Amino acid sequence: MKRWDLIVIGMGLAGLTAAKAAAEKGAKVLIVGRGMGSVTLFGNTIDLLGEIPPGKDMQGDLTRWIAAHPHHPYAKTGWAGIEASLGAFRSLFPPPYTFDTVGSGNSLVPTGVGTLRPSYLLPATMTAGVGMSPSDTIIVGLKGFKDFQGDTVSLHLQCRGVNLSLPRYGLEGLTAIALARLMDEESFRERLGEAIRSQMAGEKRVGLPAILGVSAPADVLKTLEAITGAKVFEIPMLPPSIPGLRIFHRFREALIAQGVTFLMGNPVTAAKVKEGRCEEITVHNPPIATVFRAENYILATGRFLGGGLWADMERITEPLFHLPVFQPESRGLWFRERFFQPEAHPIHRAGIVTDEDLRPVDSEGRVLLRNVRAAGSILAHHEAIEGHSSEGIDIATGNLAAGRALSS
Amino acid sequence: MMPADKTPTPPRNLPDVCVRCATCMAVCPVSRVTPRFPGPKQAGPGAQRFRSASDVSVDDWIELCTACRLCDTVCPAGVPISELNLMAKAKYLDERGRTFRDWLLVRSDLFGELASRFSRIVNPLMKNPTLRWLLDRLLEIDRRRTLPEYETPTFRQWFAARPVMSETVGRPQIAYFYGCFTNTNEVDVGKASVALLEAYGYSVGIPPQRCCGIPRLGVGDLRGAREMGLRNLSLLLPVVREGIDIVFSSTSCGLMLRHEYGPLLHLPDAEELARRLFDICEFLLRIQQEGSRTVRFQSPAMKAAYFAPCHMKSLNIGLPALELLRSLLGIDIPLIEAECCGLGGLYGFKKEKYAITEEIGRDLAKEVARIDPEVILTDCEGCRMQIRQLTRRRVLHPVQLLRDMLNRA
Repeated sequence: MKRWDLIVIGMGLAGLTAAKAAAEKGAKVLIVGRGMGSVTLFGNTIDLLGEIPPGKDMQGDLTRWIAAHPHHPYAKTGWAGIEASLGAFRSLFPPPYTFDTVGSGNSLVPTGVGTLRPSYLLPATMTAGVGMSPSDTIIVGLKGFKDFQGDTVSLHLQCRGVNLSLPRYGLEGLTAIALARLMDEESFRERLGEAIRSQMAGEKRVGLPAILGVSAPADVLKTLEAITGAKVFEIPMLPPSIPGLRIFHRFREALIAQGVTFLMGNPVTAAKVKEGRCEEITVHNPPIATVFRAENYILATGRFLGGGLWADMERITEPLFHLPVFQPESRGLWFRERFFQPEAHPIHRAGIVTDEDLRPVDSEGRVLLRNVRAAGSILAHHEAIEGHSSEGIDIATGNLAAGRALSS
Repeated sequence: MMPADKTPTPPRNLPDVCVRCATCMAVCPVSRVTPRFPGPKQAGPGAQRFRSASDVSVDDWIELCTACRLCDTVCPAGVPISELNLMAKAKYLDERGRTFRDWLLVRSDLFGELASRFSRIVNPLMKNPTLRWLLDRLLEIDRRRTLPEYETPTFRQWFAARPVMSETVGRPQIAYFYGCFTNTNEVDVGKASVALLEAYGYSVGIPPQRCCGIPRLGVGDLRGAREMGLRNLSLLLPVVREGIDIVFSSTSCGLMLRHEYGPLLHLPDAEELARRLFDICEFLLRIQQEGSRTVRFQSPAMKAAYFAPCHMKSLNIGLPALELLRSLLGIDIPLIEAECCGLGGLYGFKKEKYAITEEIGRDLAKEVARIDPEVILTDCEGCRMQIRQLTRRRVLHPVQLLRDMLNRA
């Protein structure tokens, strides 16, 4: 039976990053996900830490922030680890569809509910939204497309908005992926571009839902900008996320090209542990249960949606290795009084506590599994939702976990 | 295990497991090309909440699901989406009745052997524009679809007429499930499979076998699929009970035998068969990795590209053909980045669905044009048919290229 150098469990951004980092170092890697992973749900921009104000230098401010937050996953990677992992991520996206900062730090990106959200790396299709003003921007919605309410966005951003009928399709309810696929077609996007131009009143920027192409987003941008004479940007919206799908496709393509074995669609149902090491895992595709063995494992199964953490009426558990989960004392303390408030809900800090090497530890700090490392949102002591730090944590800890696994 | 005479039970999971995340909407090949199909989220768990056994089916678009199963592979909640669709389709068609065309198409295994015998008459006839016009008008078999040619003799006849190879006596035995299409339409895939298995030191047997039954699932005929399954189990279980593994070269037949006989159709002892059933490249890759036998291959001088069939993704065994090709032939073979070829088996022969299959296939055709390979490799005969029609290029099963590159010196 084949033995792998590394098995990555979980196919979100943390797992994908870990698999790619390990494969690039020459390791034989298996990645297994029970589904497509959260990057296709929410993946748009790469957020590092929302509370660093735009215009501030990220390196200096984040370094100081990490020093003040010694339990945060970033404390394991440090700025150096974050920087290196972001470099590896960006190398997957050569021009023209790149991920870049606008300036040296965070910038504010318009969202599908018409708010401005702080983010760090933006895809080339979103940078033109940064610095928009109510007078220079028009928001374009598409009639019959339910996932993007252009009126809401333009109302909140206080700019002008229009809703256009789709060329060829009129009011039929197309999905995001159907629209994005049509945008890959030059004649379709040219006609949409013309329709937008006819509605413009001197605006310098055009905001559209994030459907600017599946395979050729940079070409879509180019056509629309040439026709409208304005800067065009995508606005993140409801799942599935087309920009997230582009990230997933790029990773999958790179991983398979590098010889990584890619198993998607069935859960890891069991892990066999002996003397502080994981010996094997079982993937169940009914009626077949297949056992896989590796020297090292990375647990990047995410939180409640991904299935990495499980909450019953009283407690939060980790279902695969039954690791101890750092969590509030009782269920009554999971949430604060109001759903929307600046401070994070305590349940969001729940997760797996690890040593410097990202290996799970018990309450005394003793390593529980010597060849298993946790990465991504399953880790304890972060507030990725309120903190706007989800992708940064995934990429930095995924990269670190792979590096430590291979050097062990 | 349920008694054999029971009809299939409703899907394993409740639709309420669905968290409405819509990941399935990102991969469904049908809803991305036509607004007529609402997509797996709505068609599967969404509509399931409103269905009841006593109500008449109203969702006529359910027939537009191609059963590619990509939705199942991406769902993070483990909802058996394609199974919900299949059950709804079965109920809908049970109520409405199936057309004569659908009755005929799913029985291609019955007239295949006959067509094969008279291939010299049948093949030109199938290209005759008048007959195709008639088939199009009367049966609604789209005349733009290239019909596969029949071959004489069949794979089974070829195998039976082979001289007994004295050197294979006493070797480890392997059984081969070739499938209907290999038997009557693509005999060379069967010949290549046998040649490779023999090169790896096996004595190949071909047990009696019937159509796997997946075409019947395609028209929601669960009863018919169960019949085919029961017959195959009675023919194949004795083989595995002798300790002999079975390999298949047709991805969809393999998926049916391995994953639908048990979990979906609840056929007795299906799991026993499933455990000893392997995709041929999965099997060869394992032999190769165990290192028990080294077989030498030459590197092809042509540019090849590989396409991963949807049902290969559903088998969830990675891409063994691609891994095998890369490691044995020592060349880089790019993966064609397209989700689905669009054919959907017999779906693509039906007039009312032809435009959908063509539109899905355009993405694949674009990628092929970009890579510009001399030969395209893919495990599924449906994909091969569709890619040939879309690109007019040479399309082979991976085992055919491997056989051609066997170093016989």
